[in-house]
Amino acid sequence: MTALVVNGVKREVQAPTDTPLLYVLRNNLELSGPQFGCGMAQCGACSVLLNGKEVRSCITTLGSVAGKEVTTLEGLSARWAQQKGLSGAALHPVQAAWIEEQTPLCGFCQNGMMIKATELLEKNAAPTVDEIKDAFTGGISPHLCRCGSYTAIIQAVQRASAAMSNATSKRSHA
Amino acid sequence: MNTNVFGASLSRRGFVQAGGALLAGFALAGRQASAHVLNPALPESLPLFGSWIEIHEDNTILMRTGKSDFGQGTIFTAYRQIVAEELSAPFEAITTVVSGDTDRTPDGGGTFDLLGGGMPNVRKAAAYVHQALLDLASQRLGVAKDQLVAKDGVVSGAGQSVSYGDLVKGQKLNLTIPVKGDLNSMFGLTVDGNPPLKAVSEYSVIGKSFPNSVIVSKVTAKETWVTDVRLPGMLHGRVIHPKTLGSKLISAGALDKARYPNSQLVVKGNLLGVVAPTEWEAIQAAQQVASGTKWTEWKGLPGDQRLFRYFKEDADWKNAPVAAAKTNKGDVAAAIASSPKTLAATYELPFLKHAPIGPTMALADVRPDGSVYVYTHTQNPQALRTGIAFMLGAPVDKVVVRTFAGAGHYGRSNGGNAGAEDEAVILSQAVGQPVRVQWMRPDDLQWSTQSPAALSDVRLSLDAAGNLSGYEISHYMPAMQDDRLVGALLAGLPTIPAPDEKGSIFGIANGMNDPWLYEATPAVLERAYGTGQVGQASSPIRAGLRDHSMRTPGQYQQNFPRELAITEAAFLAGKDPLEFRIQHARQKRLLGVLEAVRDSSGWKTRAAGGSDGLSRGQGVAVMFRAGTYWACVAQIAVNPGTGVIKVEKITVAVDPGIVINPAQLKRQVEGGAVMGVSMALLEELAFDESGITANDWRSYPILTMADVPEIKVVLVNNPGVGSYGQGSEAANALAAPAIAGALLDATGKVARRLPLKPAYVKALLSEIRGQSPGLRGHS
Repeated sequence: MTALVVNGVKREVQAPTDTPLLYVLRNNLELSGPQFGCGMAQCGACSVLLNGKEVRSCITTLGSVAGKEVTTLEGLSARWAQQKGLSGAALHPVQAAWIEEQTPLCGFCQNGMMIKATELLEKNAAPTVDEIKDAFTGGISPHLCRCGSYTAIIQAVQRASAAMSNATSKRSHA
Repeated sequence: MNTNVFGASLSRRGFVQAGGALLAGFALAGRQASAHVLNPALPESLPLFGSWIEIHEDNTILMRTGKSDFGQGTIFTAYRQIVAEELSAPFEAITTVVSGDTDRTPDGGGTFDLLGGGMPNVRKAAAYVHQALLDLASQRLGVAKDQLVAKDGVVSGAGQSVSYGDLVKGQKLNLTIPVKGDLNSMFGLTVDGNPPLKAVSEYSVIGKSFPNSVIVSKVTAKETWVTDVRLPGMLHGRVIHPKTLGSKLISAGALDKARYPNSQLVVKGNLLGVVAPTEWEAIQAAQQVASGTKWTEWKGLPGDQRLFRYFKEDADWKNAPVAAAKTNKGDVAAAIASSPKTLAATYELPFLKHAPIGPTMALADVRPDGSVYVYTHTQNPQALRTGIAFMLGAPVDKVVVRTFAGAGHYGRSNGGNAGAEDEAVILSQAVGQPVRVQWMRPDDLQWSTQSPAALSDVRLSLDAAGNLSGYEISHYMPAMQDDRLVGALLAGLPTIPAPDEKGSIFGIANGMNDPWLYEATPAVLERAYGTGQVGQASSPIRAGLRDHSMRTPGQYQQNFPRELAITEAAFLAGKDPLEFRIQHARQKRLLGVLEAVRDSSGWKTRAAGGSDGLSRGQGVAVMFRAGTYWACVAQIAVNPGTGVIKVEKITVAVDPGIVINPAQLKRQVEGGAVMGVSMALLEELAFDESGITANDWRSYPILTMADVPEIKVVLVNNPGVGSYGQGSEAANALAAPAIAGALLDATGKVARRLPLKPAYVKALLSEIRGQSPGLRGHS
């Protein structure tokens, strides 16, 4: 039995500790955000936040995340609410921006794109276009989109950045 | 009551206390137009399913379409807009879109040609329903039909009005619409007849940027993706494909039951599968079995290094009918012989992968009563259903295909099969439980179909004034549409014929797919030659390199050589390639997009090099496809030392006639442009004499965000055309000829082979001028 915290809730999983986290999240915990894209940490479709850092759940073993905090796409709005001291939030600003910019085409890669955007904006509230490109291209591998939504992703990150800084400044003036 | 509505039949089936509705269903007009695609022994037609459009008494509207969404968003945006427009109802009234499922949608057909040349089924169906509603209102209000006007779901006339909901309240109304075609074929049913259509000048819903409703559920992790579907008792499956594209099984590896006690091995012909209750066990057990499995060797492919020599020297292009363009005219040989400047060149395009971000995956449930349920993400559920039934020797009505959101795959399943569906059925039938087959990344690169490689020979000439006096092109491309179910093929079960086999629908002939656009040219000869798929006929398992249509199929392969050759001709004439095109074009809408792309891209009569040591250039390409005119300008920077091309800006001008949804079209064009840059710079399928060697994203790289150019999209709304052309897919084809043209502009060197990888470009640039195929144009 391995215990971990997923989207703020302690979960116990009965599975071999070498099981990739992706299959634990999808099959044992019935979460649908992270997707299987390559199983080789080459595309980012399976990304989750592990203690706030974007990792590829397809090569992260269950054993290695024991006792750690995992945030999936399903947990982004609660993460934002907690960070801002709100009682709840329907959407993380990243998700809202993704909808407003009509970013996804097929959308299969967008889980990882939104996870990466959240990680980036938590570290760097106002990234430049070059910093956005670096974030989505550097790391263990680039985040890949076959439909070609990169332009829409850059615009959505910028929109989310503006919304998040507005939220912060409103709060500080409150 | 039975009213004739322009050939449709409106009837009242009775009165009900609650839930009154008008249901628009279908009846076949006469005999079916097309013969059954697979087997004359199968039933000619199946009972037609229920309704297409339903008007409910609460003023909501439901619509159904046999097509599914592959990221175009069309069925959730443009289709809703078209239906709302023809019905004169608000966009928001269409609360439900049912798509794809073979037991829940009426018309079948593939997820291609979504706007149907301006007349998709949903438009005509809605037009019939609108007329039926006017008839009902006329009866209800006692006002002549021609005195009635419908707006926002309310019919008014002679000082009275009634909502659509009130018209159907308490009643069961059926409207039977005439259709033709074959539900279970690749093309499905087509609505027949000519109901009156709303005048374009009265449009109020079409032309607005309504958001795509499915985006919210995808962004909030509430969408049920195909990857999320689970059934009670379901097992996870992994398949083991042959070692090569021609290998037969010698012996299956023994499953290590000590390590994988809950796994089962299934062997069917040359297809192996391992199923297990957990996904991780299935993966590991399949790897263990694969390592002990023995296959025959096979070397029947030319290999990527020898591919174009194979096309030139070995492939048989004489067996298929030669296609000639309808626009051919004049005596090209005489024109070339008498012109002062000529050019002869060969252009080469590699095999490409559709390369979905998620490998194909399907869940199948073969039940004890013989019924089969397949849960998947396919562009053509009815065609897949037919193929599965044929594989099993079962009646088509025993098979149900349900579709869910999944990874886009750009044409790969437009004939039904993405790859995993039939394998899931075979495994489920073998173990008597539902089985979910997920291909791994190497399976998806090595055992899916590819977009065919192609070769084109061009000869052209310029007259003394530098105008095109003769143009000849011969296109060579192997068969492009292999819809055989790959698991059935490997298992030795029945499939439709291969393209080179008797009875194939599409055969091996190549077609002329890229309409000629430079009418000022006096002599033109365009021909297309076809052949069988590379290695397929000699493969002991009839596999080889199976091909399939991919975005802008066939036309991309013909447009690249044509457009690059036209750019070369302009340079040979010492003319600006964009102005050269304008001088040779005659069609007004083509001139419109050329002028739009020139004015919005910052096109200069001569692009300048930078002070940063990079050579800069600009290139242009145009296309006419499915009612839509396209023009694209690429502006690039080349590093002469490394051969690295940086695409700095892509500008696309598009005139589809009526723009249905500007914001959605813009996103689609941006996406297509990115895929186009990816194809131009990076994409090339690696294969050796035995099979595909690419097995991951490093061996089949696609463009990353770091290299995405600035993209500018100019939408030319042209309502006077009166129709809507196809959406976005051509955008992916335009980048490559524009980029290659820009390389010529920047360096004077012509790259006639894709992709434009640094080593190739560097080698081209280091060739001594005069010995290279390079051209130096105006400077």
